[in-house]
Amino acid sequence: MNSIPVLTVKDVAMLDGVLGDFLKKAEADLTVVIDRGGNVISQFGDMSVMDVTIFAALAAGSFAATCELARRIGEIEFNALYHQGNGSHMFMNSVDDDTIMITVFGADTNVGLVRYYSVAAGQSVAAILKSLRHAGHGFTFDASDISAAPIFADS
Amino acid sequence: MSIINYASREIQFKIVYYGPALCGKTTNLAYIHQRVNPQNRGDLVSLATAADRTLFFDFLPLNAVVIKGFVTKFQLYTVPGQVIYNATRQLVLRSCDGLVFVADSQWEKMEENVESFKNLVDNLVRQNVAIDDVPCVLEYNKRDLPNVAPLNYMEYVLNNRKKRLQSFEVISSTGQNVFATLNAVSQILLHKFSKQSEVTQATPPPVAIPVEPPTRTPEKRSAPV
Repeated sequence: MNSIPVLTVKDVAMLDGVLGDFLKKAEADLTVVIDRGGNVISQFGDMSVMDVTIFAALAAGSFAATCELARRIGEIEFNALYHQGNGSHMFMNSVDDDTIMITVFGADTNVGLVRYYSVAAGQSVAAILKSLRHAGHGFTFDASDISAAPIFADS
Repeated sequence: MSIINYASREIQFKIVYYGPALCGKTTNLAYIHQRVNPQNRGDLVSLATAADRTLFFDFLPLNAVVIKGFVTKFQLYTVPGQVIYNATRQLVLRSCDGLVFVADSQWEKMEENVESFKNLVDNLVRQNVAIDDVPCVLEYNKRDLPNVAPLNYMEYVLNNRKKRLQSFEVISSTGQNVFATLNAVSQILLHKFSKQSEVTQATPPPVAIPVEPPTRTPEKRSAPV
């Protein structure tokens, strides 16, 4: 039987604490923790401005593409990336082998500050996720819990 | 691998549409995006060239309530089919929970189908995953065209293995069996995580749900995968 890794309410609260503290110190707008496949693990900040799912998919793709570029010049990966806009900017840093943290910020702060605080935040997030993996929680459900009706309808 | 968030009561699954160039992967996602209830989907994102060829991937997020008490998010991706983009296909395949292999039913595309399926198997092996361990269905697309191989030949070429996959005859341009394919792979991957998964997998899946009875005769042969 296969199981799905679980983030409990307590785990999410711990992650939110780390990310909230990071945003406050770095004075950034929002941050999203994703796995390298593009799945959202945690998020904090004002998400009303965008679809986080799409954002995560594109960011994972962007990070993965630059990892391939890094390998072409003999690096394992570029462990941090900065995308500069006119008003909003984005900073991505590697948390661990499976996880990336993305931070969006504006004119209230600067990339140096975001980068500085992202190191400690990334380490804290990595420690929480590592403890989850070691705890080995797994979610399964009964087959009877799955809707028998077609999941998606052609309307 | 997806992750479940108990705080937001969400589960995420990633389904990848794989197949040779111009087989109709993007058309599948475009049809699903067009027809699914707008409340249950996000935008269709296409990273394509100026000539509308997929450069990186297409992406369509879908929401559903299929497990009691949880919002289930399905993230549909396509890969670029062109041979040169293999590095990109490997990236998109990462952490994939389910697969739809889209084959072009035309005779002249059979060799590309076989090559693409082999490429899929190879790319999964690079991630230490066996094709038999991933929920996967086959989609025989473009069944409305005049020069298509018969169904039994498609099965012989692409589904000739010990563990046969569920397969569908599809016309993605009109949407025939597009949702049947998506629903099938979604159900298979959900049951993979259910407590009765062993029982469910013991039941052989139906093979090749048709859009019309195949009537044409084979003209040439390709080696099976």
